[in-house]
Amino acid sequence: MSLSFKLEKSFYNFNIDVSLDLGKEMTVLFGPSGAGKSTILNMLAGIVKPDSGFVKINGKDIYNSEKNINVSMRKRRVGYVFQDLALFPHMSVFQNIAYGLDGMDSGKVEEKVKEILVLMRLVGLEERYPAEISGGQKQRVALARTLVTEPRLLLLDEPFTALDYPVREKLRTDLVRIHKRYPITTVVVTHDQEEAYILSEKIAVLNDGMVEQFGTKGDIFYSPGTRKVAKLLGIMNIFDGVVHGFEGEDVLIRHVKLGIIKARKSAGAGLKEGKHVTFGIRPEEVMVLREDRNQRNIENAVDGALIDVVDRGTQNTLYLKMRDGNLIIKVDIPNFAYRKMGLRKSKEVMVSLKKECIWVID
Amino acid sequence: MINMHAFNPAPIYLTFKISIVATLFSVFIGFWIALLLAKKVFPGRHLLDAIIMQPLTMPPTVLGYYLLVLLGRGSFVGRFLEDELGISLVFTWKGAVIAAVIASMPLFIKPARAALEGVDRNLENAARLLGRSEFKVLSTITVPLSWKGLVAGAVLAFARATGEFGATLMVAGNIPLKTQTLSIAIYDAVQSGDMYLANILVLIITVFSIFTVYIVNRYTDGKF
Repeated sequence: MSLSFKLEKSFYNFNIDVSLDLGKEMTVLFGPSGAGKSTILNMLAGIVKPDSGFVKINGKDIYNSEKNINVSMRKRRVGYVFQDLALFPHMSVFQNIAYGLDGMDSGKVEEKVKEILVLMRLVGLEERYPAEISGGQKQRVALARTLVTEPRLLLLDEPFTALDYPVREKLRTDLVRIHKRYPITTVVVTHDQEEAYILSEKIAVLNDGMVEQFGTKGDIFYSPGTRKVAKLLGIMNIFDGVVHGFEGEDVLIRHVKLGIIKARKSAGAGLKEGKHVTFGIRPEEVMVLREDRNQRNIENAVDGALIDVVDRGTQNTLYLKMRDGNLIIKVDIPNFAYRKMGLRKSKEVMVSLKKECIWVID
Repeated sequence: MINMHAFNPAPIYLTFKISIVATLFSVFIGFWIALLLAKKVFPGRHLLDAIIMQPLTMPPTVLGYYLLVLLGRGSFVGRFLEDELGISLVFTWKGAVIAAVIASMPLFIKPARAALEGVDRNLENAARLLGRSEFKVLSTITVPLSWKGLVAGAVLAFARATGEFGATLMVAGNIPLKTQTLSIAIYDAVQSGDMYLANILVLIITVFSIFTVYIVNRYTDGKF
């Protein structure tokens, strides 16, 4: 199973130009709204015609502007779960799921629908209409309706944005489970970082109609390739500095307010003394130090006061304002640690930017 | 003393016959025009729309005049129909049907188009992506979901056809028992001072007209 495509499309004041090679893994197209994510899905599905390029599924063209190939929607065998789901409101759950099984004998249809109903936890809802089931159930019906036709490519547009948090979480695990069962090339569009992180094996970060970075989840989240990617992924702790020197395996970076910060040499390629670089650290990698700990010899220590605390359920986000200077560092800390350490707003704390967690970009 | 002369129901029968046939034509032709206008973007779309809607604004006599010129023996179309197919339209009930079709079609197309446009494009695309042909998409998704608008349009077109006067008079004339419809019979009755007959016919057409529009409103919540 593979999908490779190159798509170009110009709009009035916006251009899309992307190319990607995907395997059977789940790939997330991540980007802010207006980055062209949905339009890319629509071009893969054949709803929107690109200006030029190609789309190959398992090496075979389903669209190719040079060879003049443009396979119609109904022959592409592309499964698409629309953002609004597009369930047929005048048909029952059973009829919706069976819709794509036209031409099969009714016994076989029943068998296939029953099988997917079990897999999607929908048994007992067959006779209900879309208006009579919950948001999460609708989502699963939409997925079932597509999967039952055994598509060669599965596209999901912001699949869970409209749902409540607990439902969303359950469905994400469902989707990962189902993807293991039906290992087809799957492309999920989202603007939600958490969703991108949970669902993806690979991530393509899109911005302004272009791929900013494409790689594995680890690559993208823990060593973003550009400042833009880091920003889009919501990593707030991004700083500019100058390479000051080297010390064994470490590189020393001078920052106007933070002073000298140590990072691993391997964090960035081609680092030279005097070079301007961007570096940063994910909020969850910032370590809050216990007060009783020996505060000497702590690498990259920063102290200041907590100017704000946001409770996010299982974790808290802290905003630390550096004592001498206006720099703010964002810290994510698990709820239990937050309570155990007796943290609160306006408390003075010291944090460590662990050097092995710092990424560096030229 | 009340004038007790015999009431002849022929115009009523004739009006319903013409209106039913005309509505069938309006719906079958109008549906494809409404679909074209609702789903396709093509050059000249607004012009086509403007021409189709003319019967709503143009004087019916002008409409009738065009039809008379087009269908009469003087024109190629009229001669062809009469000589080759043996169909004579002018001053026959068939001519009245043509007049009623032209007059009533916009009343079908307007709500039909709105209803067809109202069907979410994603639903149609979802059906296509599930492997269904254009005809199946139309028959299983688009039409069932725009049903109310289509029925509302058909009823309005029927009501309009029953009240057609000007164009019918121009094309089909006023031949009792042959082309004299209800509205023409009313005109005729008033002209000849038969107010009793005029009153009965006026009452029938008023009740019928209010009733149909009421039914359409009830059925569609006043949306069309």
